Amino acid sequence: MTEQESLQLIADMIKKAKGSYHDSGINSLLWGSVVAIASLVSFLQRQYDFSIGFDIWIIVTAAIIPQIVMSIREKKASKVKQYDNDLLDAAWLVFAISIFGLTFYQSIVPAVTEKLINAEGWSMMKHYIDGSKPDEVILPFTPSLYSVYILIYAFPTLVTGIVKKFKPMVIGAIITYALFILSCFTESKYDMLLGAIAALVCWFIPGIILRKKYLAQHRINV
Amino acid sequence: MFKELDPILHSQLRLAVMSLLISVKEADFTFIREKTNSTAGNLSVQVQKLKDVGYIDVAKQFKDNYPQTTCKITPEGIAAFESYVKALQEYLKV
Repeated sequence: MTEQESLQLIADMIKKAKGSYHDSGINSLLWGSVVAIASLVSFLQRQYDFSIGFDIWIIVTAAIIPQIVMSIREKKASKVKQYDNDLLDAAWLVFAISIFGLTFYQSIVPAVTEKLINAEGWSMMKHYIDGSKPDEVILPFTPSLYSVYILIYAFPTLVTGIVKKFKPMVIGAIITYALFILSCFTESKYDMLLGAIAALVCWFIPGIILRKKYLAQHRINV
Repeated sequence: MFKELDPILHSQLRLAVMSLLISVKEADFTFIREKTNSTAGNLSVQVQKLKDVGYIDVAKQFKDNYPQTTCKITPEGIAAFESYVKALQEYLKV
């Protein structure tokens, strides 16, 4: 083996190792579709003033089960562990914890705030400036909180896009940051619609691209 | 005066194995076999040689009732690989 051949062999093997990672796209498709559906249904319920009879966000919680099953299967089937896998796993774990934390905040803080302000002897009121309706006592709430969810959706997507040099996710994350800014100026029900678009551009569309690539690669290997 | 190339690394299959392992955290024996287009017997011998000089770690375990061999490059292996590449660059004046 000549020195030139050695160098060529090293380059070929490094290229082969780097090209060995193929995301099946299933996780992106799963989360992209459930978050988009939940956001869209939430928007439609508020826009057309109807209720489907249950909390649509249950489907997001339910999606955790197939996610766990798929993750275990993928880990078992994986023949190689890349250096950046740990980094991406950490980014998505932090994302999941942040979403859980935000949901927890959203469900706990209004009730706790109401208790605290009531203890101080006052309450929050809805006051109509034109005096067309009498004042109403309201539960404290964080206005336009879904904007924060949209902001968080972009974070692991951008990390994954940059680390894996996967442009659709980078573009999806940039669009999502723009949607976040837009959502700061819109009524909260439209934030839900913007959230649905964010889920599509961050995960669903990149998921379709990944799936197509994966199936094409699979066909070559078969 | 040119530095002598490490004879352990200056062999086609062993160099291929080391080049694969330098790029990933760890890899299955079957993955290495597929990527290097080698036979299980030949690969086993070369992996053992790399293990004997301390360039790679080899872990054997059972996964779903099947034996699984995982290979991982060691810090000594990384150092040896780096000095091999440097020596190559000197030869080729890259």
